[in-house]
Amino acid sequence: MSHEYIPEIATDRDGNKHEVQGWQDDFYGGKLGFWLFMFTEVLMFGAMFMVLAYYNTLHPQEFIEASASLNRLLGGINTVILLVSALTMGLSLLKMRVGDVKGAKLMIWATILLAIAFLVIKGFEWRAEYNHGIFLLHGEMLPESGMAFGKKLFFGMYFTMTGIHGFHIIIGIGLMIWLLKRINAGKVSPEHHILHWNIALYWDIVHLIWVFVFPYYYMIGAGGVTGGH
Amino acid sequence: MLITHIIHNTRRRKMSKSYFDETHCAIGHPKSTFMQWMLTVDHKRIGLMYAAVMFTFFFVAVATAFLMRLELFAPGAQFIDGDTFNQAFTLHGVIMIFLFIVPGVPAVLGNIVMPLMIGAKDVSFPRLNWFTFWLYILGALVALASLFTDAGFADTGWTFYAPYSLNTGTNVIFTLVAAFILGMASILTGLNFLVTIHRLRAPGMTFWKMPLFVWGIYATAWIQLLATPVVGITLILAIMEKYFGIGIFDPAKGGDPVLFEHLFWIYSHPAVYLMILPAFGIMSEIIPTFSRREIFGYRSIALSSASIAGIGYLVWGHHLYTSGMADTAKVIFSFLTFFVAIPTGIKFYDWVATMYKGKIILSTPMLWALGTIITFTIGGLTGVTIAMIGVDIHLQDTYYTVAHFHYAMLGGVVFLFFAGLHYWFPLMTGKMYNEKHGKISFYLQFVGFNLLWFPMFIAGYYGMPRRYFDYLPEFQIYHQVSFVGAVVFITGLIYMFVVFFRGWRYGEASGTNPWNATTLEWHLPSSPPPLENHSKVPYVDFEPYEYHHGQPVVKFDYETMKRID
Amino acid sequence: MDTNTIDYKKERVAYYKVLIGLLLLTAVTFIQPHLFMAESTFLAQMTIAVVKAWLIIMYYMHLKGDKLIGMMGIFSLVIVATFMVIVIGFDVPNFQYGAESHITGPASAGVEHATPAKH
Repeated sequence: MSHEYIPEIATDRDGNKHEVQGWQDDFYGGKLGFWLFMFTEVLMFGAMFMVLAYYNTLHPQEFIEASASLNRLLGGINTVILLVSALTMGLSLLKMRVGDVKGAKLMIWATILLAIAFLVIKGFEWRAEYNHGIFLLHGEMLPESGMAFGKKLFFGMYFTMTGIHGFHIIIGIGLMIWLLKRINAGKVSPEHHILHWNIALYWDIVHLIWVFVFPYYYMIGAGGVTGGH
Repeated sequence: MLITHIIHNTRRRKMSKSYFDETHCAIGHPKSTFMQWMLTVDHKRIGLMYAAVMFTFFFVAVATAFLMRLELFAPGAQFIDGDTFNQAFTLHGVIMIFLFIVPGVPAVLGNIVMPLMIGAKDVSFPRLNWFTFWLYILGALVALASLFTDAGFADTGWTFYAPYSLNTGTNVIFTLVAAFILGMASILTGLNFLVTIHRLRAPGMTFWKMPLFVWGIYATAWIQLLATPVVGITLILAIMEKYFGIGIFDPAKGGDPVLFEHLFWIYSHPAVYLMILPAFGIMSEIIPTFSRREIFGYRSIALSSASIAGIGYLVWGHHLYTSGMADTAKVIFSFLTFFVAIPTGIKFYDWVATMYKGKIILSTPMLWALGTIITFTIGGLTGVTIAMIGVDIHLQDTYYTVAHFHYAMLGGVVFLFFAGLHYWFPLMTGKMYNEKHGKISFYLQFVGFNLLWFPMFIAGYYGMPRRYFDYLPEFQIYHQVSFVGAVVFITGLIYMFVVFFRGWRYGEASGTNPWNATTLEWHLPSSPPPLENHSKVPYVDFEPYEYHHGQPVVKFDYETMKRID
Repeated sequence: MDTNTIDYKKERVAYYKVLIGLLLLTAVTFIQPHLFMAESTFLAQMTIAVVKAWLIIMYYMHLKGDKLIGMMGIFSLVIVATFMVIVIGFDVPNFQYGAESHITGPASAGVEHATPAKH
């Protein structure tokens, strides 16, 4: 909607003029709408964390042991990658707002590359787990295997949550590529950048989910035998 | 006396364009009328399209229910077998809940009326609104596609409880995916309405000057937004369990089927508040208009909507009393369930107080509203009965429960939906239906409804279980009375739609404010409404229901939307 | 939201400051089980996560100063927290059928299996 929108004016009985907020050109409305959408993501992942916590409470020791067997190095590298990618995305928005469109696009590319790196490392992790007999519908995860309940449930939720999180990263990459296209087409600019704003917010929430996924899955078994609860 | 032909009618002669003559589209500027309807972003047209599709599905589900009533007329198999019966009640539930009543009032009346009530030109995200409608259509098609597959429609009941839903050979995945898509549509509608109500109210209209229907839609939107994702992820987890064996609902791997019930009802209980809150909003609009009085207790009704939305998140466990929850948890949920009935009671007292010393006009919308006060009171109070843990052990999953929620959903939500359709019919179409026949259809439905559902309270009390294909001969009398009620009720239903169709085609022009009401949707420059709604957005320095001696206080000049009282 | 009169230098510095903070907290995450609160690693880890989340939400997501959205966010989080408290805090610990249950009884809860070696 690049037509010039001129807001209406309403006059009260004392003659004072009030600008009417229209649905067009509503920056705050666009921001509010996207935040509301992100709260739905909070509820979704929140429910999954509740499932995880439920089984954790039933099988505390097995959860610690299963967590200890995850690759903390790769998980940690991914954490730092995502952290830096949140910075690059934020910088891209900053540059756009200030008028440095070229710099903004560069930063978006950096974010995309970091996101792909994240997915590649996650792929290595999953492959290693597969080789150890732990994967959906495979080896230790089958009902007839002898692996303890708590571990089966831990890994079941591990693949589900990291899988859904990875799916959100793929969507994020898609959104960023689309954003680049819109910038090139002139539809996103320093004057009209609500789309850029919202995609940066999206990337931040993808990062935010990982901030909780990482310690819950990878770190609770890190302290050795006790791990603690 | 009922329809006041006011001066506004002369405006008709100018042949001003209505929203039927022109529209804005999501993509391009199509010339054909068909494509203009397919691509329209106008909230009024989208609301009408929702209504057309939803009521088509509604009648499919009513037919399915009638089939079940026919089968249950006598014990033993009449013309369908037990497995088909299971599919029938699943189909009935899935259509009624996911395709009809959850989109329900917000999708139709929320879309059409709410922006008009706050003086807006459309919702905050019209293209999203268009997209959401087609998402709904996609979900509906996916759900119904499974009817035509080899495995057949799901036979799990609309609640898809694990472990049966994981083990059954019928086509559960279609319905799970469909419910997910429909859930997304519900979320996006709620999101759109939340931003609209926060951003697009006319200048001067604070939250405390909004009409109560808008309050109802607002509270509903919060539930649509925050509760639906939980069922969304539950459906995904169920798919993950069924096809990838992650173990969380499968006892063979240590999973707990009761966890599925927790997750499912964490959405599905707030969902029923999502259904009733807009309906209560409709009641709050109709009662003042047909009592010719300001509503009693505006703030308490507004706040009670908000508190029902809030507390409603906390009571889901009362669906799990007999599933093996800890006793401590049961007590907590029972207490909270009793507690959530209080704000609803407050509303009812406020409505009755509004009618006191008012000049009651018994037009069809008012008849529906008054009928609902009776039926929803029964529905609500019987809900309180089964909120008691000890009583629920006996009545859980019997016909008592079935009668309770049909009194609440059909006798509450749907009756008020019908009331709203009659009330805003002149707004949407510019015509008026035949009042006498409207009243007849109400009485047919009211009598039929009670004949159909009341015996079920008794049958359930005596132990008739729900979702049962066969039963002991001692229950037959209840089923037979119900069947007669069903026939009367469905006759009334069809009668009502005939009244609507004939009203739209042959009815008299209604003018812009046939009920002489006060809220902004009745102050449009022409009838049916023009594309851009109000000619100018007014400045709102008045309460929504200001009456003085039965007449509206606020009057407008419709060219400038300035007050002239 | 004023989008054209921002102090680029100041905002950029803020971004980097938060980055350092987050990196430090990530490091603490790794050394915490060996350094402090080893008996309650879960609590320590979640607390660190909450602090990180607060930094991200306030600064990267620009929520500092936005009262309306902040209130809505708190409302959403309260709802999630309530589900957790009721289900995990009340239902699970007071479950009275543990002895008969297939999934919680100790003897029938599946054979303990050696965990795969860390790779």
